[in-house]
Amino acid sequence: MREQRLQDILEHMPAGVATLQGAELRYGFVNDAMRAVIGQEAQEGRLVAEHPGIIPADLLDVMQQVYQSGRPFVAKAYRLVMSASESQPSELSYYDIALEPVREGGGPVSGLLLFAVDVTAQEQARQRAHELAIETRRLDTRLRVLTETVPQITFTLNAKGKVEYVSPQWYYFTGQPPTADLNAIWPLLIHPDDRLRILYQSDTARAAGTGWNYEYRLRRHDGQYRWLLSRALPELHAPDKPVFWHGALTEIHDQRELSEALRRGEAELRFLADSIPELIWTATAEGFIDYYNQFTGEYTGLTRDELGPTGWINLLEPSEQANAARRWVHSIATGEPYEGLFRMRRHDGVYRWHIIRARQLTDTRGPRWFGACTDVDDQHRLREVLQTQYDELARTNRDLDTFVYTASHDLKQPLLNLRGLFDELRRTASFKDPEEEEIQTMVDGALSQLDTTLQELAATVQDQRGLSAPAEALNLRSVAEEVLLGLRAQVQEAGATVELNFEEAPSLTYGRANLRSIMHNLLSNALKFADPERAPLVQVHSHLSSTGQPTLTVQDNGLGMALPDAPNSVFQPFNRQHPHIGGAGVGMYLVQRIITSRGGHLEVASTVGEGTTFTIHWFDA
Amino acid sequence: MIHIVYMSRAVRPLSDQELQQMLDQCRRDNASRNVTGVLFYSHGNIAQLIEGDAAVLEPLFEKISRDGRHSNVVELVKKNIAARSFSDWSMAFHPLQSSGFDALEGFLLPDHLRQPPSTLTIADAMMVDLVRLAVFGPDAVATEPAEPAHA
Repeated sequence: MREQRLQDILEHMPAGVATLQGAELRYGFVNDAMRAVIGQEAQEGRLVAEHPGIIPADLLDVMQQVYQSGRPFVAKAYRLVMSASESQPSELSYYDIALEPVREGGGPVSGLLLFAVDVTAQEQARQRAHELAIETRRLDTRLRVLTETVPQITFTLNAKGKVEYVSPQWYYFTGQPPTADLNAIWPLLIHPDDRLRILYQSDTARAAGTGWNYEYRLRRHDGQYRWLLSRALPELHAPDKPVFWHGALTEIHDQRELSEALRRGEAELRFLADSIPELIWTATAEGFIDYYNQFTGEYTGLTRDELGPTGWINLLEPSEQANAARRWVHSIATGEPYEGLFRMRRHDGVYRWHIIRARQLTDTRGPRWFGACTDVDDQHRLREVLQTQYDELARTNRDLDTFVYTASHDLKQPLLNLRGLFDELRRTASFKDPEEEEIQTMVDGALSQLDTTLQELAATVQDQRGLSAPAEALNLRSVAEEVLLGLRAQVQEAGATVELNFEEAPSLTYGRANLRSIMHNLLSNALKFADPERAPLVQVHSHLSSTGQPTLTVQDNGLGMALPDAPNSVFQPFNRQHPHIGGAGVGMYLVQRIITSRGGHLEVASTVGEGTTFTIHWFDA
Repeated sequence: MIHIVYMSRAVRPLSDQELQQMLDQCRRDNASRNVTGVLFYSHGNIAQLIEGDAAVLEPLFEKISRDGRHSNVVELVKKNIAARSFSDWSMAFHPLQSSGFDALEGFLLPDHLRQPPSTLTIADAMMVDLVRLAVFGPDAVATEPAEPAHA
C-alpha cells in the first residue's frame, strides 16, 4: 500500500526517475518524466545498452562504472540532444543527472537509481549572462579606449558634485600629478574671472537636475589659461533623480580666438564702410541688398527698411530704372560685374550723377555682391564747364588768327601807299643835307622791313592753320621746284646754285602746305644769309636714316651762326640771328613748330663763316 | 491692400502629386479669401508673391511661416500696394511627368512665365525677376543682353 503510494508519487514527479536493475542494467521503474526524456524505448525489462534512447555512450559507460565502483555520480547541466521528430527539429536540453547505486539490505550493488532534472532554462540563462558579461567587458574596454584617446577630457560627477571619474587627458592638460585631489584642485585651476560663474552655473544645473553647456578658461600645464567648452548631461535612474553627470571638456581656444578676430575684423570693416562718404552696400547671391552703409542713409534720407532689398531702384531717375533693373538681373544671372552711370535722388530731391559698380565675391560661403555708388556729379559738371571754356578758347584763337591775318593784309595797302608817296617825295623833292640822304635810306629800310614783317605774319597765321592739314604722298622734287619758282628772283639776284637730290627718298607723306612752307623758309633763309664773299651754293638732299625714316638736309655755304647751348632758343619767334638782314624772325620758328607737331624734329649744325646745315627728321621712330 | 514676397526651402522634395494637391487646395482657399499671386517651385526652392487685404494676408503669412513642409522662410517685402497685379493665384514648377499638367488650371511652366505685370513698380518687378532667378536658375530666366547704362 505504501509502496503503491510511493510509486504514484514517483510517477508524477516533475523530475525523471528510473531504476536500472542488475549488472546488465535493465530498465526497472521508469516514470513518465523520465520516459519523456529517454524516449518510449525505455520499457521495463529492456536492456539499457540495447535501448539507450537519447542516452549517449559516455553516460552508459559511467553507469557501468558507478555500478561497479558503487560510488554515486552527479553531473550538473549535462547536455542531451533531444531526438528530432518530424514535427520538431532536434534541440539541446540540459539536465542535472544523478546516478545512485542501490544496495538491497546493505549487500552488494544490485542496481542503479537514475535521476534527471531539467535545468535547460537555468542553463540557457546562465549562458546568456556569461555572453553578456563578455560583451560588457568588450564594450567597457572600447569605451575606455575611446574616452582615453579622444582629445576631449571626459568626466563623471556624482550627485554631490564630486568628481567620480576624469579621463587621463585631464592630467596631461593640467600637468597635475595622479595623486592630486581633484575636487580641491579643479576649481583653483579655473580662471579667477570665470570661477564664480562656473561654480554657480554647475551648482544650479545639478540642483535642477539638468545638463549644462558653458565655456571657461582652465589653466594648462604651462600656466596659460585656455578656453574650454564644458558640456554634461545627467544620468537619470529614478524619474528626476539624477545620480551622475557625464560630460566632456573640449578645448575651443583657437576657435574662440579666431571668431573673436573675425568679429573684430567684421566690426572694423563695417566701421570703415560707415566712415566712407560713398554709398556702400552688399547683396545676397540672389541679388537682394542686405546691408547699406551709414552714408547711404544720410544721402537718401531713408532707413534700411524703407530702402528694402530692391528699393535702390526707386532712387534712380525714373527713365533709367528699367534699364538698371534689367542689367542687375543680368549680372545676378551671369555673375558679370555691374557698372553704370545713373542719376540718384538725394534726400532733398536733387538728382546727382553716380557711377554704380558691383562685383561678385565667390568663396566657401557662397557668392555675395559688394557694391559702391560713387558721386561723380561734380566731375560731370566740371567736365561740362571745361568743355564750354575749351570751345570758347578755340573760337577766340580762331578769331585772333583771323584778326592778325586781316590786320596784316589790311596794313599792306597803306604801306604800299606810303611807299608810293615816299618814292614820289624823293623824286620831286631835293635834299641838300647828306644826313637827309641817310634818313631817306633808313626810311626806305624801315618800310621794307615793315613789309616783310606783315607778309610773314600773314604767312604764320596761314601756316598755323595748315598744321592740321591732311597728309598725302608728295613728290619732293616737284614741291621743291614749285618753291624755287617762287624764289626765282632771289636766286637770280644772288647768283646762287641750288642742287636738288631726292633719289634716295623721292617721296614723302606730309601736309602739302606744310612741306611747301618748310622748303620755302629753309631755301629763302639759305639765300638770305649768304656770304657776300662767295657765290651761294645750296644743297638739298633727301635720305633714309638707319631706322628707315626719311630725312631732309638743306646745306648752305652762307654766314653761319653761333649756336647757343640750348638749341631750342634759336627758333623762338622774332629772335633774329642776323639783325642786319631783313626779316621778321618768325620763319624758323614756324618750321620747327610744323615739324614737331607732326612728330619729327629739326637739327642744326653751323659754323660761323662756313655755312649752316639743317637736318629734318620727319618722323621720330 | 498689401503684397508679401518670401522665399523658403522645402524640408523634402515635393512630388508631382503633392504639388498638384497643393495647387488645387491653395487655389480654392485663395480664391475664397480673395488672395492672388504666384508661387514658384523648383528642386525644393520656393518663392511666393501674395496680394490681398492686410487683414487676410498677415494671418495667412503667419500660417505659411509655421507650415512644417518648408523652413528658412525669409520675408523679402511686405508693403502697401495701390492695386493687384495678378488676376488669380497660380503656381509654376517643372513637373517630372509633364503629361496632364498642361491642362491644369492655374499651372504654369516656368519657361512660359510672362514678364512681371507692368502694374508692379520697377523695383517690385525686379524682385519678382530675382526670386524667379533664385528658384529656377539662370537657364530658365532669359535675361536680355545688357545695354550700356547711359544709352
